[in-house]
Amino acid sequence: MAAQRYELFDHTADVGVRVCAPTLAELLGPATAGLYAIIGRLVNDGREAESRELELGADEPALLLRDYLAEVLGLFEMGRRMVTAVDVREFSQTRLTATVQLQRVDVAASSLEREVKAVTYHELRIWPVADGYEATYIVDI
Amino acid sequence: MAGKYTGPVEQIDNCRWRIPRSYKPAMRVDGIIYADSELMESILLDQSPEQVANVATLPGVVGASLAMPDIHWGYGFCIGGVAATDPDEGGVISPGGVGYDINCGVRLVRTDIPAQEARARIKELVDTLFREVPCGVGGTGKVKFSQKELRELVTGGAPYVVARGFGWEEDIAHTEAHGALDGAQPDCVSNHAYERGLDQVGTLGSGNHFIEVQVVEEVVDAQAAAAFGLVPGHIAVTIHSGSRGLGYQVCDDAIKELRDAPRKYGIELPDRQLVCAPVASPEGQRYLGAMRAAANYAWCNRQLLLHLTRKAFAQVFGSPAERLGMRQVYDVAHNIAKLEPYEVRGQRRTLCVHRKGATRAFPAGHPEVPPAYQEVGQPVLVPGDMGRASWVLVGQPRAMDETFGSCCHGAGRVLSRGAAIRAAKGRSIQQELLRAGVVARARGRSGLDEEQPEAYKDVSRVVDVVHKLGISTKVARLRPIGVIKG
Repeated sequence: MAAQRYELFDHTADVGVRVCAPTLAELLGPATAGLYAIIGRLVNDGREAESRELELGADEPALLLRDYLAEVLGLFEMGRRMVTAVDVREFSQTRLTATVQLQRVDVAASSLEREVKAVTYHELRIWPVADGYEATYIVDI
Repeated sequence: MAGKYTGPVEQIDNCRWRIPRSYKPAMRVDGIIYADSELMESILLDQSPEQVANVATLPGVVGASLAMPDIHWGYGFCIGGVAATDPDEGGVISPGGVGYDINCGVRLVRTDIPAQEARARIKELVDTLFREVPCGVGGTGKVKFSQKELRELVTGGAPYVVARGFGWEEDIAHTEAHGALDGAQPDCVSNHAYERGLDQVGTLGSGNHFIEVQVVEEVVDAQAAAAFGLVPGHIAVTIHSGSRGLGYQVCDDAIKELRDAPRKYGIELPDRQLVCAPVASPEGQRYLGAMRAAANYAWCNRQLLLHLTRKAFAQVFGSPAERLGMRQVYDVAHNIAKLEPYEVRGQRRTLCVHRKGATRAFPAGHPEVPPAYQEVGQPVLVPGDMGRASWVLVGQPRAMDETFGSCCHGAGRVLSRGAAIRAAKGRSIQQELLRAGVVARARGRSGLDEEQPEAYKDVSRVVDVVHKLGISTKVARLRPIGVIKG
């Protein structure tokens, strides 16, 4: 089984994230961590988490991944909330449903390095590998 | 990820290179890259020429898909790209041809402050700017706007905030489009975008955005420099920022809405970041309305940044900004799409000109050039890196024939952010800049490392190309002495 992990890769003015996981659903965790790693070092405030239901539809899994990450970015940008857990109920070719646990970012304890403008469609891909899936996405800085 | 460009490229002359239309069956026009041989060597190291070729496939594209000498690899369009489409020939508008930071642009202010006086107070000045101007991730504006006021702001543009006391009337006359595009549609901007931009008016942001204190070091064109108020040995200030979260979200919303448009309109695309719709379509019109609103937001943002800059200068020099001669030279967008008239094969056509990392460069006599600059042409503001130089150019008639009234917008990156951080390991970029006579302050730890001078091409080399081509010519070189970054 592929371990869940992410790594950042270079793109001239922006930053890319490469993710691998045993299942499509498990891509979301490291994809989220990769996005946060670009923003900086995020620390949550330790208070009780709130739940948020996400229901996304698109033509293919890579678009669902992008739309999920756009939601995660929006939650950070508007209200400084970070996803601390994600429970995926369905990640099919055209549909993603999940419950995310959100906690507030402790801005004073965090180190915010970069403003991510958006998760782009450039080099956006998910593909099967021998022991799971890999994905790439690039964010605009 | 992607490696070198391996497609065809033909040298036309010392400053122009062609990617022939025959490269890809879907290309409707040639690609043209403006560069000298040395710049071209680095341009071919990434996939930006491929992106120039991809843009040449867009429906209704006119003339050629163009790339300025500061071209580098972007997403969909290259950075430094210019593409004009003809709406009457099914021409499309593409949010990717504008970019996420709609109306990212540059504002230049001149002053009567001699360099030696500024150098004596430069640390205090930079510290004051750093304190007074919200910057970095999460910076919020000092002037608060309600939801209702924000809708008025995106409709009214810079005149709206000037009327509220955040600037001078003459700033408006020296701003592209007078700081407000007609046809902004506040109802086409999502609540999400309004929420993202609500408390960010008057914030610098992060990344490559900055405010730089500069010395006018060399004047090349005395007539134009005099018209622009640039005096050798005096201080100038450059402000670089855009439409903040509101603009990013407008672009993101539009690309999502347009995902199905290529299928609907029968458009084949080589890269889905190029999603587009006919300019005249409902989708195209909605994007235009929202993009114009975001552009107006950006002009308000830079207007407020100028207001804060003038306050900081007044505080440090103990004199009102008026007495310091802090007049705005010009404000110009470099991420935008506009409907502009051009001569195409002997006919007057209104084209949709996408400038993504490209600056408008209108010549003397053009009706959109301010009255004070009618004799010389529009100021073209080309910031470089924070260690070497920035340039002020002036638009020339050849730009109207060759580049749809466009020119380069900066130096262009050569190092990725990761490579720049690796190159900075074990060094203090702040100390290196200080030794070179530049006082720099940044919010994030990595900001100065990622934006270090070596991360960029030499802007003077880039400017040499457009000067030789005659699309814009040199007016003055500015040398940085202080900078704040997000």
